Amino acid sequence: MPKILIPTPLRQFAEKKDSVDVDGATVGEVLAALTAAYPDMKKNLFNDEGKLRSFVNVYVNDEDIRFLEKDKTAVAATDTISIVPSIAGGKIAGGK
Amino acid sequence: MIKIEQEAWQLMVEHAQKTYPNECCGAMLGPIDGDTKTVRVALPLENAYPGAQRERYELRPEDLLFAEREARKNGMDLIGIFHSHPDCDAYFSKTDLENSCPWYSFVVLSIQKGQFHHANSWLPNMEQTEAAKEELEYPHA
Repeated sequence: MPKILIPTPLRQFAEKKDSVDVDGATVGEVLAALTAAYPDMKKNLFNDEGKLRSFVNVYVNDEDIRFLEKDKTAVAATDTISIVPSIAGGKIAGGK
Repeated sequence: MIKIEQEAWQLMVEHAQKTYPNECCGAMLGPIDGDTKTVRVALPLENAYPGAQRERYELRPEDLLFAEREARKNGMDLIGIFHSHPDCDAYFSKTDLENSCPWYSFVVLSIQKGQFHHANSWLPNMEQTEAAKEELEYPHA
């Protein structure tokens, strides 16, 4: 089964596991299986419209799924899926 | 709360001062014990923002993937992100907030005229609409 690596802050929603093996042939199916098993994780990964939150990137091994087939990207049993935040910022556009 | 150990702190300040007048960025790794996060390792990363880096920073997701892997390899956690604000205070700007991630601590270092001035840590909410100040402990020179 594909393995999903759980970022530290989300482990509290997955029985403190640092990785979870889940069924699925695509990234979408694997993430659906993950959030079905651990429903509290869903609001961290998806917005109210069911879309991945803007700060969530998903990698299959070393590949960003945005440059593959997004949630339809195929995953094999030996693949490792990583959830990686998207982060930027800067001092402009308002302060305190 | 978040505590930053001497060696990591020194690296963060050096990275911020060296990058001045541009903004720097990097990852913070270490153990988390209950409510206490201890930054043991600072990982300076490249500011990948394609425009004016005096006012903006951007982390490449693949660099964060690397940081996450480093943490796992060393039995630590990815605790958060640091970046600098050259010649202004260590607030969490609207730009910081809108491009943040609620899972991590965000330490901002104020660099005034090339020298470290002060720092704050912030915890953004899920909707990226506000950030709470987090208790921060760092070594003083």
